[in-house]
Amino acid sequence: MNIWADEATEERGENARLSSFVGAMALGDLVKSTLGPKGMNKILQSASNGSITVTNDGATILKSIHLDNPAAKILVNISKVQDDEVGDGTTSVCVLASELLREAEKLVTVNHIHPQTVVEGYRIASRAALSALEGSAIDHGKDEVAFRQDLFNIARTTLSSKVLSQDKEYFANLAVDAVLRLKGSTDLEHIQIIKKVGGKLTDSYLDEGFILDKQIATNSPKRIENAKILIANTSMDTDKIKIFGARVRVDGTSKLAELERAEKEKMKAKVAAIAAHGITCFVNRQLIYNYPESLLAEQGIMSIEHADFEGVERLALVTGGEIASTFDAPDKVKVGRCDVIEEIMIGEDKLIKFSGVAAGQACTVVLRGGTTQMVEEAERSLHDALSVLSQTVKETRVTLGGGCAEMLMSVAVDEAARTVTGKKALAVEGFARALRQIPTILADNGGFDSGELVAKLRAKHYEGMKEAGLDMDIGEVASMKELGVTESFKLKRQVVVSASEAAEMILRVDNILRSTPRRREGQ
Amino acid sequence: MTSTLGPALMGPMGGGKGISDGQFSDKGKPTEVRLSNMNAAKAVSDAVRTSLGPKGMDKMIQTSTGEVVITNDGATILKHMAVLHPAARMLVELSQAQDIEAGDGTTSVVVLAGSLLGAAEKLLSQGIHPTTIAHSFQKAATKAVELLNDISIPVDMNDRESLMRAAATSLNSKIVSQYSSILAPIAVTAVTRLLSPVSSNVDLRDIRIVKKVGGTIEDTELVEGVALNQVVISSAGGPTRIDKARIGLIQFQLSSPKPDMDNQIVVNDYRQMDRILKEERQYLLNLCKRIKKTGCNVLLIQKSILRDAVTDLSLHFLAKLKIMVIKDVERDEIDFIAKSTGCKPVADIEAFTEDKLGSAELVEEFSQNGMKVVKVTGVKNPGKTVSIVCTGANQLVLEESERSLHDALCVVRCIVKKRALIAGGGAPEIHLSRLLTQHAQTLKGKESYCFQAFAEALEIIPTTLAENAGLNPIQIVTELRNRHSLGERTAGINVKKGIISNILEENVVQPLLVSTSALELATETVALILRIDDIQFTR
Repeated sequence: MNIWADEATEERGENARLSSFVGAMALGDLVKSTLGPKGMNKILQSASNGSITVTNDGATILKSIHLDNPAAKILVNISKVQDDEVGDGTTSVCVLASELLREAEKLVTVNHIHPQTVVEGYRIASRAALSALEGSAIDHGKDEVAFRQDLFNIARTTLSSKVLSQDKEYFANLAVDAVLRLKGSTDLEHIQIIKKVGGKLTDSYLDEGFILDKQIATNSPKRIENAKILIANTSMDTDKIKIFGARVRVDGTSKLAELERAEKEKMKAKVAAIAAHGITCFVNRQLIYNYPESLLAEQGIMSIEHADFEGVERLALVTGGEIASTFDAPDKVKVGRCDVIEEIMIGEDKLIKFSGVAAGQACTVVLRGGTTQMVEEAERSLHDALSVLSQTVKETRVTLGGGCAEMLMSVAVDEAARTVTGKKALAVEGFARALRQIPTILADNGGFDSGELVAKLRAKHYEGMKEAGLDMDIGEVASMKELGVTESFKLKRQVVVSASEAAEMILRVDNILRSTPRRREGQ
Repeated sequence: MTSTLGPALMGPMGGGKGISDGQFSDKGKPTEVRLSNMNAAKAVSDAVRTSLGPKGMDKMIQTSTGEVVITNDGATILKHMAVLHPAARMLVELSQAQDIEAGDGTTSVVVLAGSLLGAAEKLLSQGIHPTTIAHSFQKAATKAVELLNDISIPVDMNDRESLMRAAATSLNSKIVSQYSSILAPIAVTAVTRLLSPVSSNVDLRDIRIVKKVGGTIEDTELVEGVALNQVVISSAGGPTRIDKARIGLIQFQLSSPKPDMDNQIVVNDYRQMDRILKEERQYLLNLCKRIKKTGCNVLLIQKSILRDAVTDLSLHFLAKLKIMVIKDVERDEIDFIAKSTGCKPVADIEAFTEDKLGSAELVEEFSQNGMKVVKVTGVKNPGKTVSIVCTGANQLVLEESERSLHDALCVVRCIVKKRALIAGGGAPEIHLSRLLTQHAQTLKGKESYCFQAFAEALEIIPTTLAENAGLNPIQIVTELRNRHSLGERTAGINVKKGIISNILEENVVQPLLVSTSALELATETVALILRIDDIQFTR
């Protein structure tokens, strides 16, 4: 008897567990070489359109690859959540989860411990790890100078593992400046990133205000001070009668000419209605045809046509205006304001800069770089740094990086293991081993002797040097506090929490059911 | 470099583990990926290598549309190459980035990147970690830029001689090399005319190059005023020469009216037909008369996709009214024309008034060697724009001539951006290579090795120059090194004579920005490629 439908499959017990372990571990191995300052990049080549991406951002890699393993998909998911929550540490969370599963596999297959017992042990361990992490966290939120230094260090640590590592000091400053402008808000919408190929990375800069990648219309004034901006999404060709098949019948060319004139009059009225808002700049989502453009120019109004959706929305946000589509009630429409609108040149392109905008926290980062891949990766890196920083402004506690926090936790977990009775203790020890894998991978990626380094590091921590970590430049154990390798507490906490949760979830699986793949037409 | 390694230092496995002190063992797949990336990138660089320098060869490219392009411009060659490999594509982009940033040196940057990758490959096989190499290379590039700044010669924008020399050096490596004495002054004049005392950049869109087949490259000239792509419409017998021109630029059409709504003219009987024709005549005549009334006698009409810009009838009227007509002006040209002739575009007949007109002494259609060009001269209050009429005997030569001219313009613009020149002919590269080698000796550890390799990789430029010129590269490069170590900082390869000489006396100079940008961009890209250890296929 067939219980399952055609092609639907079931994997049970040992098999199911093995297949999830294998999937998760394979995924961990895939991304683990990108971890840390000496991590490597991957080329992602799209099969559909041949475009290539060069990245070492875990979330980007995991998001793009094609997977057919349920456990692996769970890991992709936690990395995505990490990206949304904190913005960085997407690789770490995936690697830690896969290392936890690697330990679990040994416990289950070699030591014959029941998965539920392993889960229990992991829970004890993760509690111990988190309390140790919390104990080591430092809060400089009250002290402005020290806090800025903290932020700068965090940005530097984040950026050192990215493509921007060469110029991390420069970009760390840039990111901190940008985030501090936000004054505590985590809304990164206010920070616009413009990418222009050409030039080198250090040609990138932070500019106050907002830059729109569009051109000012021919006749318009090219510079406006104290601008009042109306942002609209309206058709500025002719307001067609939008009834399907509407057409006019005339009996002569003069009638046609009259009709044409009437259309122009209608447009003229619309322009007059727009001008009645008392504006000096008109930005439209859609095209502005020659006629309305010249009418606007006559009134000294700068017109900018065909701005993209994102641009318009952001412009509305930063100038404090609203996107309007009817112009009958000028007093009800909120008009955006800024001090100066002018044309600037970046590389070979002309762009429009709005400076002194209403939302003082808004700013634009202009990224330059040798290739498209370069600027895109730079954008991802900068975005990671910005989101971590903006989260840190909220949760001001910080901890140390360079494998220090992991080793600290692992020591605490080992301590905890001694007090645990029963087989669970083995699982707790396994958790500690998994945590130690993070500094091990860091060292491996750097081409150092990981076994020796991690053993040294562990010894230092047992000696009580709580701030010892790995100096990836020279491959030695050093004080992370002195080197300024700092990470956000929230990030580290989230990594441990998500990774152990995901590991637990996968461990509990003992049966994988696959339903019949949906058939497509013609197959 | 290997000669400095004592056999005792080499591991028992030969090249596998060399000077690496750690435990770095490259895994199988990453090594393979890295090698494949490097090979692909080097293949690209080898493809363009032979086109470097004054004796470089051209490439004939057949594009996917069957069109033939002959060029010596690195960026153009690479753009047309159907490159598939991801790493190779990054090199193509690299050359484009150099095109944007400096406009010239698009071949050098790729050749340099290829050579740096070759150097990196050797370092990798000695067991040095790729990120260490990437890091050291970037440091070396920063140092190299500093060194270049030190030997650069500041230049004043009024010093036409120096500017001309730089433009001529760039032109010498192109097909048009024998015309460099004609094109170089044009490029220099064009850019300097756009300059204001404070400008730190020049928008090349303000320089219009009008391409016309006919004549030879020698006929290329800078127009005092404006040159137009379009020709005068003379089918209705309108004038082709207007003195004391009043120029109008309209964005509406002189054809029968057409509202945006769907419409239909319903004809009931034959008398109505007559009336329709008459009304159309009347309508057009009205428009033409109103145009004449403003005093306009040269009319430029923007292209329209929805309806005809002019009809035979309106052309006829305009010819009668002695108005010169030029149609098919593209929408993106409007800005340039408005700026250079001082007229304002008019979108509606109602708004067409005299103050929208621009004035010029003469608008005339010249025809020579079978090509026609409309020139506007003696413009009153001209804006800061320049027009160049570029000519060539056939399409292929013309295109290449335009590209070369563009490169020359970019070279002059580079000097505007960064007002300094350095010697050409491989001199700066040898200089850098020598000083970086010296600097490497002050460093410790793997970094020193990487600096050394970087310095050697730079020698690819003089080596290739010599190779392309049919000289013995080893002899030339070693002699060059020798002369430099004797203190002749400006000794370079004199490709014309096939000897080493003081390259400044040969007037071979290049903008500092071209060299520094090439170095920085190439190193940045190499660092990115080095850090790649895997290729994943995605949806």
